[in-house]
Amino acid sequence: MKRKNWVVMITVIFFLIGAMAGSAAALDEIRIGTIGPITGWATIFGQGNLNGIELALDEYNNEFNGVPIKIVSEDTKADVEVMRTKLDSLKNRDKVHLIIGPSLGHEGMAAVDWGARNPEVPMLIGYSAPEDITMRKATNSVVRPGWTGAQVIFNFGQYCAKDLGYKKIIIVGQDYSYPWDQAAGFIRGFLENGGEEVKRVWHPVEAVDFSSIMAKLLGMSKEYDAVLNNSGGAQVVAFFKQWKQFGLDKVYPQILGQANVPIVSMLSELGDSSLGVYSSLHYYDGNPSAANQKFRESFKKKYGHYPDVIALQGYDAVHVAFKAMKAIDGKVDDPHKFIAALRQVRMSADESPRGAFYFDKYANPVQNIYIKKVVKKDGRLMNEAVKTYTEVSQFGPYADMAEKYMAAPATTRDYPPGDKASYFKEIEKYFGKDYVENLKKNNGWTD
Amino acid sequence: MQSTSKTKATLLLASLALMIAVPWIASDYFVMMCIRVMYFGMLTLSLCFLAGELGVVSLMQASFFGISGYFIAILQTQYQIPFPIPPLVGIGVAVLFAALTGLLVIRVQGIYFLMLTLVLGQLVWALASQWASVTRGDSGITDIFAPVIFGISTEKSKGAFYLFELVIFSGVLYFLWALKRSPFGLMLRGIRDSESRMVMLGYPVAFLRYVAFIFAAFVASVGGVFFAYFTGLINPHSVSLTANVETLLSGILGGIQTLFGAILGTAILKILDLVLSGITHRYLLIMGILFLIVVMFAPKGAAGALQRLWDSVASRSSRGIMSVAKRASDDS
Repeated sequence: MKRKNWVVMITVIFFLIGAMAGSAAALDEIRIGTIGPITGWATIFGQGNLNGIELALDEYNNEFNGVPIKIVSEDTKADVEVMRTKLDSLKNRDKVHLIIGPSLGHEGMAAVDWGARNPEVPMLIGYSAPEDITMRKATNSVVRPGWTGAQVIFNFGQYCAKDLGYKKIIIVGQDYSYPWDQAAGFIRGFLENGGEEVKRVWHPVEAVDFSSIMAKLLGMSKEYDAVLNNSGGAQVVAFFKQWKQFGLDKVYPQILGQANVPIVSMLSELGDSSLGVYSSLHYYDGNPSAANQKFRESFKKKYGHYPDVIALQGYDAVHVAFKAMKAIDGKVDDPHKFIAALRQVRMSADESPRGAFYFDKYANPVQNIYIKKVVKKDGRLMNEAVKTYTEVSQFGPYADMAEKYMAAPATTRDYPPGDKASYFKEIEKYFGKDYVENLKKNNGWTD
Repeated sequence: MQSTSKTKATLLLASLALMIAVPWIASDYFVMMCIRVMYFGMLTLSLCFLAGELGVVSLMQASFFGISGYFIAILQTQYQIPFPIPPLVGIGVAVLFAALTGLLVIRVQGIYFLMLTLVLGQLVWALASQWASVTRGDSGITDIFAPVIFGISTEKSKGAFYLFELVIFSGVLYFLWALKRSPFGLMLRGIRDSESRMVMLGYPVAFLRYVAFIFAAFVASVGGVFFAYFTGLINPHSVSLTANVETLLSGILGGIQTLFGAILGTAILKILDLVLSGITHRYLLIMGILFLIVVMFAPKGAAGALQRLWDSVASRSSRGIMSVAKRASDDS
């Protein structure tokens, strides 16, 4: 009897304890769940988002019309299975009225899938950028006050071809879907506006030794005009260092960066080697608007350093939520009304540090895209806007033919093709002959 | 003795009844936790079966888990093939993959086995993350929906999903339990303890190890089916090194050589994770310390420690119980 009964006993005890867990909470508060990677390699994204959320809530004294706001924050460890479980926890255990997050690409895809199955929980996506969250997989309850990877870089391709006058560009990036998407958006803008060729060089996600790539870039410098670095985190820092070591700064004009290459947190690590780097995003830290100055200074006061676009995402999400709550008199108990109100929110340039924006019918913002350049101001490195494209939707220049855009094949590591001839063959197939004729006639996109 | 087996049977039945009753008596949240523990439990079981019976540690069990998940995802979302074909194909392919890789890994032992399985596991991960036209790369495949079984949608009813999984889970557990007690299991234990002796006695040692490896892969792939259906998605993380190491950690935490240890370890790790992370952001630190304590003071894992505790309590009180039992039987 002794030998085996303990197994059964423990099972029973375990179940009794478990059955007691998971009771509902009270009703006289507004509960907001946040979700994102707070531990592991992606901490910077989850924690940044959370910092932004807390800062914005401070501005409202953590209450709405006297009703206290309770934040329940959960960690995903950048694992979508964990995230799904935590989303279920937020819904069933904490009975939250709104979820803000997640921050990573694959997390966002999993979150929108969860949202489609739980249409009664409003969700505001954080920094997560895959376009399908608000395109092919878009669902009513999921609103993204953020950006898509391609949205912010279409115009950068255009800028490099038209304003900088480059013809051939090499993209060096980490070999996974986010950089692939960035490259795809860039290629569209670049080739359709007079660029000839974009060559993609992919390296393993964790690589920090780029000597073979540098040697290759050195050899290709006669044929190509510029290099676009399309990595993230430690890989960018290593790339910039070796770029100088191999003397590539003497053969190429300057590095071009993908959307979040010279973000604020990275500038201090890159130092002066980041001077002159061009990139594009829906936010730039040098924005002189009152909203941005307030955001930056109060963030610095609370956390001791300046915020970047990741924190902005959480900050804006809270303001969007409050604007929607105002519209429905704080009746967050009715999720469908709340969702409808969220989708109607229009932010002005006084309210958001990034400038004005509103949501398209798929609930992704239509917003300004800034071409930015790293400069030194008052002894500090920051991004300045050199050109602004206003009211850019997630479909970029294809806003009128969203259906066709969504019918084209999904991006892969080598789709769409990077040379002009085969690229035009592809777009003729999906966007039609007229579109290609127009491009040729107008010499690219019309601003 | 008779009363012992009777109490044992009653207790077993009672706990079984309790487990079946879960969807009616417990919250949705708890049902979800159980579902999760069961599918990860099957993954850990496959690792612990190999560790306990063959004495080798594998770092590729999550690959089999993920392969069946991926096949379900691909067949269901890209080819619209109806249930039950996708899970059967998924398990079939995972077993086939085990049959192929088994030919490689079964020749080696110890650290070499660990390294080889690590390499093969990473190969599967690289394939899942790079072959984007089929696996959609790091974004993974979403939109997997749990099937309708006997007219009940397990997608809508978590309770039904739980019960269905419980049946399969119990079946898998029984399968492993019976396997351990079969002549086959005894032969495996013989190999583990002294391979040269078993070779000398004329047993087909390599073949037996090979078959055991395939059985373990089968168990993991069954877990993968429920993983894919319950979470509704699959991405390269489920076949990553992290997933494999977490499986190993659950095994060590619970007790790597026993089946119950595998389940206990998974339950502790997965539930603690959920409960603690709601309380503090430093929950990984607490779990790390817990893990350290287990490794230092309970080398046989939580299951081993609890068994020792139970034994000492039982032996202290057994004299009292015996006398009560004796009086009772005298009365009747």
